[in-house]
Amino acid sequence: MLKITNLHASVDGNSILKGIDLEVKAGETHAIMGPNGSGKSTLAQVLAGHEDYEVDKGEVSYLGKDLLELDVDERACEGVFLAFQYPVELPGVNNTYFLKSALNAQRKYRGEKEIDAMEFMDLISDKIKLLNLKDSLLKRPVNEGFSGGEKKRNEIFQMAVLEPKLALLDETDSGLDIDALRVVAGGVNAMRSESNATIVVTHYQRLLNYIVPDFVHVLVDGKIINSGDKTLAIELEEKGYDKIIEESKA
Amino acid sequence: MKAIDQFKADFENTLHLSKGFVKNIRNKAFEKFITSKFPTNKDEFWKYSDPSIILNLDLNYNDSGNFESDNYDIILSNGKIVKTNAKYKTGNIAKGLENGDIPKEIFKEEKNTFLNLSNAFAINGCYLILNSKEKNDIKILNLIDNNGKSQAIYPKLIIIAKQNSDSTIFEEIKVKGSGTNFVNSVTDIIIEDCANLEHIILDDFAKDTYNISNICVKQKKDSNFKSHNFSIGKKLARRDYNIELLETGANCDLYGLYFVDGENHIDHHTTIEHKKENCTSNEHYKGILSGKGVGVFNGRIHVHPKAQKTDAIQNNQNLLLTDEAIIHTKPELEIYADDVKCTHGATVGQLDEKALFYLKTRGLNEKKSQQLLLRAYVGEIIDNISNEEKRNKMMEIVIDRLPKED
Repeated sequence: MLKITNLHASVDGNSILKGIDLEVKAGETHAIMGPNGSGKSTLAQVLAGHEDYEVDKGEVSYLGKDLLELDVDERACEGVFLAFQYPVELPGVNNTYFLKSALNAQRKYRGEKEIDAMEFMDLISDKIKLLNLKDSLLKRPVNEGFSGGEKKRNEIFQMAVLEPKLALLDETDSGLDIDALRVVAGGVNAMRSESNATIVVTHYQRLLNYIVPDFVHVLVDGKIINSGDKTLAIELEEKGYDKIIEESKA
Repeated sequence: MKAIDQFKADFENTLHLSKGFVKNIRNKAFEKFITSKFPTNKDEFWKYSDPSIILNLDLNYNDSGNFESDNYDIILSNGKIVKTNAKYKTGNIAKGLENGDIPKEIFKEEKNTFLNLSNAFAINGCYLILNSKEKNDIKILNLIDNNGKSQAIYPKLIIIAKQNSDSTIFEEIKVKGSGTNFVNSVTDIIIEDCANLEHIILDDFAKDTYNISNICVKQKKDSNFKSHNFSIGKKLARRDYNIELLETGANCDLYGLYFVDGENHIDHHTTIEHKKENCTSNEHYKGILSGKGVGVFNGRIHVHPKAQKTDAIQNNQNLLLTDEAIIHTKPELEIYADDVKCTHGATVGQLDEKALFYLKTRGLNEKKSQQLLLRAYVGEIIDNISNEEKRNKMMEIVIDRLPKED
């Protein structure tokens, strides 16, 4: 589904990603772990198409297309979804109106019929229960006045409505208490299927107890220095990043 | 100075249409107009909008024209009433003065050039009395009709909201035909004790139009004035609000939304005179500027020595959609009382890049994302319209007018 080859990226001339290679197949869940400043979030932003990041070298192929050639909204319409580490507040933009516009923009792009108001309300009332969100949040402006946990759940709620093929979860666990973490993970797990894939970017192993990855990659200074299965995450948690970095150098 | 000669000729040629008190007013006002200096951008009050460009135009007085529509209760075509509704106490200004509906004090000696010019051409106009204790919802069309000429027109409205009346006036300005228009409009509003008046002005796009508009409001005890001003840039567009809070407990809310694009110009100067204690004013103006458009906002709050316990809020926000658009914004606070609350703020910015990126990651393209953010931006002003139906209609109209840039 996704093949990243020798990806280099920089921001304001500072090189951050220094040669990433990663392959993600449909049905898989990959976790990217790493210390602060290693480039984890940058990778997620580059894949989503943020203009502040310059791709200096490398290729990203997604479902047979050159992902880097697509605009941000085209990537979304092709099924790439980024759950933000810091979801943006949109004062005055109604949550329901926003989500319906987004879903219809994606359906239109794919040549599908636009969803009408009734069908849409049915769809979101199912999905909102999954994330244990209050109905009243739908009537409010996007993320404005939401608690940290509500913002994160709202991200996964949007994901549940938009049904992406490739979900990028950027530090989705940060700022969540254990109950909210379970709800968010439950939402993500409910969407896992043979036809889609998930990349989870996180500091801590904690989230991976709930969203169990097939592969774990350790990202340090813009490079993946180690890859393994879920036991690698547990090892990281026990030994710390420094130890793993040392071992990989040896 | 082509226009000055024409003002003079037109004044002389039309003077016979008036008699008695009105003739007297016209004579005095024209004398004052012709003997005072015509303002230019050398005057502080006109620093960013030079009205003297009007003087190079070829302008002929015109009040002809007709228009029919069931959508409005009152229709003025080039400043002259062409439709009224018998339900309302209304008529032209001469009639109002004659039967005593309009207090003569409204016509006093003015310092403002354009008020003098308007009074010099006080030939038609329209007054409207909102009866005490009555509730009214009135639609007025102010039509500028031009069949290819270069014309000067003087729409003048006098609205008197009697004690305890409660009214909404929706005033739509429409421009029909083509040609050059100099529109010197004046609206006088008196709001008596405990009366509520909500005034919505919806402006129109217009080519080759120069509009100077003065809205003068006098508020008595415990009266409320709520104004929604939706204006559009023109060759020259200047709209001034002069609000006088004359007695205690008066409150005014001024909401405004202005658009300017191309090489057009839009200027608002608002003045709120807090003359007595316990009055409140709340002003929120927002602009969207694109192309090479130029905007000006000057908000003056004047708190007189007697106006203790004044509560005044002023806020002006501007969105620049292009690098070449310009905004001059300036709050002016003059406070001569010591127990008052006054806040003001002005911002100039672009659409939030983070918000645009967020929207795009959900599949909305650049244009749609922009529109969603602009919609939210204008919503904050439109949401203040009390009536839901009017609010929704205004939202539709404004959305349709948002800059559509690919």
